[in-house]
Amino acid sequence: MSTIESPPVTATSELLSLYAQMRRTRALNDEAIALQRQGALTGFPPCTGQEAAQVGSAAALDPAVDFAFPTYRELGAMLTLGITPLALMAPHRGLSFGGAFDAREAHVAPINAVVGGTALHAVGWAMGAKLDGEEACALTYFGDGASSQGEVHEAMNFAAIFELPVVFLCQSNGWAISTPTERQVGGGSVAARAAGYGLPGEQVDGNDVLAVRDATARAVHRARCGGGATVIEAFTYRLGPHSTSDDPSRYRDRAEEEAWESRDPIDRAREQLRGSLDDAEDHFARIEHEITLELDAVRAGLGLLQAPTMREQMELAYARMPAATRAANAAWLQDGIDG
Amino acid sequence: MAEWTMQEALNAALADCLADDDRTLILGEDVGRNGGVFRVTAGLQERFGEQRVFDTPLAEAGILGTAVGLCMHGFRPIAEMQFDGFTFPAFNQLAAHVSKLRTRSGGALNLPLTLRVPSYGAIRSPEHHSESIETFCAHLPSIKVVSPSTPSEAYALLRAAVADPDPVVFLEPKSRYWSREERVAGDDLVGAGARQSGADADAERGDGYASRIVRSGSDVTLIAWGACVQRCVQAAAFAAEDGVEVEVLDLRWLKPLDVDGLVASVARTRRAVVVHEAPVTLGLGAEVAALLGERLFGTLAAPVGRVGAPDMPYPVAALEDEYLPSPDRILLAIQRTFDAVAA
Amino acid sequence: MASHTFTLPDLGEGLVEATVLEWLVAVGDGVERNAPLVEVETTKASTELPSPAGGTVLELHAAEGETVAVGAPLFTLEIAAESGIVGTVPAEAPPTRRVRLRPPAAR
Repeated sequence: MSTIESPPVTATSELLSLYAQMRRTRALNDEAIALQRQGALTGFPPCTGQEAAQVGSAAALDPAVDFAFPTYRELGAMLTLGITPLALMAPHRGLSFGGAFDAREAHVAPINAVVGGTALHAVGWAMGAKLDGEEACALTYFGDGASSQGEVHEAMNFAAIFELPVVFLCQSNGWAISTPTERQVGGGSVAARAAGYGLPGEQVDGNDVLAVRDATARAVHRARCGGGATVIEAFTYRLGPHSTSDDPSRYRDRAEEEAWESRDPIDRAREQLRGSLDDAEDHFARIEHEITLELDAVRAGLGLLQAPTMREQMELAYARMPAATRAANAAWLQDGIDG
Repeated sequence: MAEWTMQEALNAALADCLADDDRTLILGEDVGRNGGVFRVTAGLQERFGEQRVFDTPLAEAGILGTAVGLCMHGFRPIAEMQFDGFTFPAFNQLAAHVSKLRTRSGGALNLPLTLRVPSYGAIRSPEHHSESIETFCAHLPSIKVVSPSTPSEAYALLRAAVADPDPVVFLEPKSRYWSREERVAGDDLVGAGARQSGADADAERGDGYASRIVRSGSDVTLIAWGACVQRCVQAAAFAAEDGVEVEVLDLRWLKPLDVDGLVASVARTRRAVVVHEAPVTLGLGAEVAALLGERLFGTLAAPVGRVGAPDMPYPVAALEDEYLPSPDRILLAIQRTFDAVAA
Repeated sequence: MASHTFTLPDLGEGLVEATVLEWLVAVGDGVERNAPLVEVETTKASTELPSPAGGTVLELHAAEGETVAVGAPLFTLEIAAESGIVGTVPAEAPPTRRVRLRPPAAR
């Protein structure tokens, strides 16, 4: 296990672009929480406080060649990878499970709620990329909670045995609902486990967007060049609740939250930009203006999203629908009120 | 004409799948150099290389999850669970992902994977090596389940399973691996299944998920799949000694069920008994019986009978002959369909 | 002293036969219990079968290269007495029945 060295000097314009993506994430995140309180979304898992870990890691990927496997809390990563806000809101409006986008085109897997299992899908995808001789990698997101799942162990072991181009990106965000990381991760570090598989494991300040981006970029580069898998543990904090149905005040201290609020990754990037850009405030104003326009469009578009029909959902179950299943489905629909 | 065993037929089917489509891969425990504990993949790594046929760590969720990811990269993996009871560690992948990923992705991600599972009992195995998992699998949406009963059937159905664009669980009756049968010539094999499916009207169904009539009879239909087909054929021979003509229907596909084929046979015989190794309670026989009741309520001369196991774990080897469907149990169930009187 | 014929057991999870590769004893040889008698090959493995009892070899029922079905006679020993659990792997019995069907009179 190595500790990340100071990030190399990165062009200010790049930090500005990461900052804009983080601000966009926070704004959409807060808007989604509001929409849930207003009855427009059924529920939402906020990523407040994790923007740097998500945006920084996703920015190191090239979705034209790489493939990302997000969890349900990856709003910032998925926005960075080019998924539209409405596609990401659709699951939380009860219109889609994985997100209203084409996973094959986007090179981003659909979200799901059983954590850990998709780490193995990343392994399989990476195996396919290796067999096809591609310079590409799979990045799987998971958290300190999912690190307890056996499938994550199996995935790391497979990745090591087959020397696969996988980046295991763990956001240790302090809490799996009400279970703190120290009650979740035996030994205290997910990155430390990498050594057991013979993989490089790196810990990084998950609230430092450049540090996360650089650590991920190194792992992605190593993977694409045939150097195998890397485990990155980005230490961050879930400032919000597990979901809009959750109340963290039942299980954690306000003082702890306040300590992390003072380390807000977006504030940190903003201060860096202020120090290096003469016209920082102008940029910030432009970014906020663009966000306002996008939020208006999301609100307008959300109401226009169409619910799928039962018939359409039935068709999704099979690539080749058996005749008997089709007949049973038709009979089921016939019995429905709307026919 | 030469004979072959089911193990040889399955091996030939896998070899032909690998030869026909270079996106086809085989992965599992001990499938490579060792050729599988039942030798079903024997010689395939040698012939097709370690990139196409390879051993994995001992981790069934890992095997199936990796197969899912390989599908996402455009491959057509054939994954092996070494024994039926070892499927349970992979069940999260099966139920939470394989069953749902196509719908979750809005149809963007297809999973043309085949999960081969040496299945059922009767080989004096230790615990966890004699399970019937068909109902667990067939209950999951988006997953097809098939189980062959003879060598030629095994060849044809495995080719069909691998060619299918959806995930297919392929349950191999391990007690029949060494059963012999005259080998059907080359090109006829793949179509052999369809042609054996009984009446012409049945063949017209044409979506490929057809059952087959193993033996025609007019008095009662025995319905089975996998290893129990032979048990029903034996029971039918005994019944013939008593002047009872038994029809034996091999379901082949447990999902989708060949509803039309089932109804056509039982409409003729008016009596049916389903035979499986799995416990009777919520076994696949319950589904078959319910379907026949819905479709043939006025035609049936008796309730659909079920022969299966009691509600207990699969027993020790010393008891498995008693536990498995015996000719007498099947004959008793047939007799009950004769003795049934409407209330 | 009694002669006892031993049959080929299922050597692994449902196997139905094995091929005699090499006899390691000849008729008339004396053998100790667990001394190697014969090397056979199944679809799964090649393996030596140890003698189930001490005694004298009376007969070998299969030639080298010959395939023997599980349950078929493999060798006969003259042994001092019945000892232990030798030769208890049963040949698969042919299916039997007790139930007789009484079909309905009018069908």
